[in-house]
Amino acid sequence: MIYDEPKFLDGGDRYVLIEFGNEMNLDLNFIAQGLSTKIKENKVKGIIETAPCFASMLVHYEPDLISKGDLICELASMIESLGPTDSIELPSRLFYFETLYLDPWTKECIEDYNAKITEKEYDPDFVSRINNLEDSSQLVRVHSGTEYWVASLGFWPGLPFLQPLDPRSMITAPKYNPPRTWTPRGAIGMGGSASGIYPVATPGGYQLFGRIPMPIWDPDKRFDVFSGNIVLFRPGDRIKFVPCTKEEFDSAESKADEGTYNYNMVDYQKFSVKQYKSWIDSIDSSHRF
Amino acid sequence: MLEIIKPGLETSIQDYPGRIGYWNQGFPPSGPMDNWSFRLANLLVGNKPGAAGLEAQYMGPTIIFHMDTVIALTGADMMAKVNGNSVPMWQSFLVKADDELVMGPAVSGARGYLAIAGGIDAPEWLGSRSTFHKAAVGGLDGHAIKKGQIIRIIEGSKGEDGNRVKLSSRPEFSSNKEWSIEAVAGPNDDWIDESGHRRFVETKWKLSAKSDRTGYRLEGPDWTFTEKATNKLPENGDFPSNIIDQGYPLGAINLGGQTPIILVNDGPSMGGFICPYTVPSVAFWKLGQAKPNEHFNFEVISVEEAQKRRKKLDSICSIESIESC
Repeated sequence: MIYDEPKFLDGGDRYVLIEFGNEMNLDLNFIAQGLSTKIKENKVKGIIETAPCFASMLVHYEPDLISKGDLICELASMIESLGPTDSIELPSRLFYFETLYLDPWTKECIEDYNAKITEKEYDPDFVSRINNLEDSSQLVRVHSGTEYWVASLGFWPGLPFLQPLDPRSMITAPKYNPPRTWTPRGAIGMGGSASGIYPVATPGGYQLFGRIPMPIWDPDKRFDVFSGNIVLFRPGDRIKFVPCTKEEFDSAESKADEGTYNYNMVDYQKFSVKQYKSWIDSIDSSHRF
Repeated sequence: MLEIIKPGLETSIQDYPGRIGYWNQGFPPSGPMDNWSFRLANLLVGNKPGAAGLEAQYMGPTIIFHMDTVIALTGADMMAKVNGNSVPMWQSFLVKADDELVMGPAVSGARGYLAIAGGIDAPEWLGSRSTFHKAAVGGLDGHAIKKGQIIRIIEGSKGEDGNRVKLSSRPEFSSNKEWSIEAVAGPNDDWIDESGHRRFVETKWKLSAKSDRTGYRLEGPDWTFTEKATNKLPENGDFPSNIIDQGYPLGAINLGGQTPIILVNDGPSMGGFICPYTVPSVAFWKLGQAKPNEHFNFEVISVEEAQKRRKKLDSICSIESIESC
């Protein structure tokens, strides 16, 4: 449910966790991100940073500058002034990524897991089957048929937790048990209803079925699109996976290796929750591509 | 310049308060685990309290100085010697070019700190020189220091030798392998039932050897839950301690299955487990100085009390605590 009044939970001497509800619902993330944007705009004294998540947002504050009581009052009044979620508009960049679905690298990784850890069904087949999709080609169609919303980042620096914006692309998958010891850099996978991209080779638990060729982690500051940061994404970004051929993937990857890859990113749009919702209401959500 | 002859067990460059402001992209602050000792080490040599220095864990490094400078050692006693002669802790003193500093195993506490006049010069990553080795960020090359590496010092500071920390301003390490650690209830305390809360405060929790700068694992009894944990929507996950992914406060006592893990300086920013309690910042120095197999007793305090104690600690970590020898 979405709570009538958000809950302010104590997190030690310098954090408050605001819980907006207790379900997976994009609306809750919109509220969290709307509040996060508002806090940035208003430059509230004593708030050091915020971390929006699916249904909640963590606020890191400096108790020498603002008391917990004043902080909660301030947050509550800002939440109040957000109004209904419909009125929330968020700055939102959109990234287009060439994506090789059913790629050889995640396949090799899954085979390695099968050989060394435990037998499991090939991830694309497994995810297709439990979501009643015809085959892995339909999985590719469905998974790439939507823009993804960067709800939050975590687990590893720069790893985005993505929700499909188009309900017709909503699929779910359990996580690996036990988890993998390694995952190829740039691998795309999903666990629960969230998709993710692995910024570097790390352990992981998501079901894998694709890979992108361009870095989302840039420690050597080679790409301007990172604007001096090491990680590409911010909460509120959107991502569109564009299926490509092996040749297109290889070409993009070699440009990325040379440092000459041009990111396809657009930054002129605002995400209007109201327009998004009225569009959702206009479609048949049960339809699959 | 300093030259690393032996790196020690895991000696890393850290500054305070570390990499702040990137939690929403998954970057932890890093920084020294025992920021009490760390800040005083810097103040002793005339640095700002947050200047970059070295944190040595369990077993200290061997270092040759290639210039005359002023240094100070605080935190765990690692029986430090310069050219074979014992040197004092909690004091600033001169070292000469070609002097060799040998730090040994920690005999009290777990982490020793070395501050050098001027502070360590290393590239800043997102506003901090702190090492976050899990993502290979900060320090010299993203990792603990290695044999043969040269560490540059920011020039321009002569440093102040002959300072010491007032006795009353030094942290007192546990002498009986037990530590009293402050904890504040929340954010998810209402997922634990009454007997679970009682067990939390009555138990001597053992610090597991599987602990590092990302998390401190505790061994103790199982937790018991309220209905919130057992009767919930499926998107929360299967285990009673699973919750819809949420942001984690630094210091959160995070319940991965039945094992509580205190999320410390290099910890994760979010995840899908409940955090019934949070260790406030005032207790972090104790976490930094506790060794595996030692025991924690938790003292539950209010947010206000935790903030009061933090303020007191901050006032101790100031120039007021420094006097001439």
